[in-house]
Amino acid sequence: MNNPDKTGLKPTCREAHRLVSEGMDRELSFVERSRLRVHLMVCDACTRFNGQMGLLRSAMRGFPDDSAD
Amino acid sequence: MNPQDTLHRQLEVMRPLLVRFAQLQIRNQALAEDAVQDALIAVLEKPERFTGASSLRTYVTGILKFKIIDCLRSSTRERQLEAEPQQSDDDLIDALFLANGHTVTAPTAWGDPDATLTQKDFFRTLELCLEKLPAQTARVFMMREWLELETEEICKELTITSANAWVLLYRARVRLRECLDLNWFGQRVPQ
Repeated sequence: MNNPDKTGLKPTCREAHRLVSEGMDRELSFVERSRLRVHLMVCDACTRFNGQMGLLRSAMRGFPDDSAD
Repeated sequence: MNPQDTLHRQLEVMRPLLVRFAQLQIRNQALAEDAVQDALIAVLEKPERFTGASSLRTYVTGILKFKIIDCLRSSTRERQLEAEPQQSDDDLIDALFLANGHTVTAPTAWGDPDATLTQKDFFRTLELCLEKLPAQTARVFMMREWLELETEEICKELTITSANAWVLLYRARVRLRECLDLNWFGQRVPQ
């Protein structure tokens, strides 16, 4: 397979990053959700990325902030 | 000053920021100015509708979002997206990962999110990062995260596929993350 995100049994950071983002825009399948969850349990880098995506979303929802001039 | 003058004055102060925001969606200054003007007129015509339950800015922003959605729907010309070279963006994602799928450099900690969102300059930095996005990427991202439209609706408006939209949104987030990391979090001493 040529898709660099499809990496067989073990979910990689590359797959997890994409799933974190797509999970914000569509409902992930059961398999995708499980793979992402398992990966986040063991990976600090992707957990951090996940948190940062959440911060980005909160920031955009509150934009423009009352203090931003 | 009577209340109407005060409101007028507050809206005038807010206007440049609103125009900058509209322009991230509608990359045509005249149309962006129109959308903002429509929103401001709507507020001025019915000032009694503003109950003060939210801040004035939140209230005006809410109205502006509807005006922008109207504008995107009605203006076919605006809807047409210029083709953008995708190569650099693919490189962008490729550059994050090693061949085995691991990150090249793990994202650094950003500290307390609640504290971040209360800092005024943070939003200015975020705005600058949004302005740096390629036009098409910025538009899809703003429709999703600012106008809070569902992917299906964005696809319908822009006649792109959902797969296309997800890729653009992913790229936008990666770019914004990097921009914020560099221009906001990177310069700050961890507390």
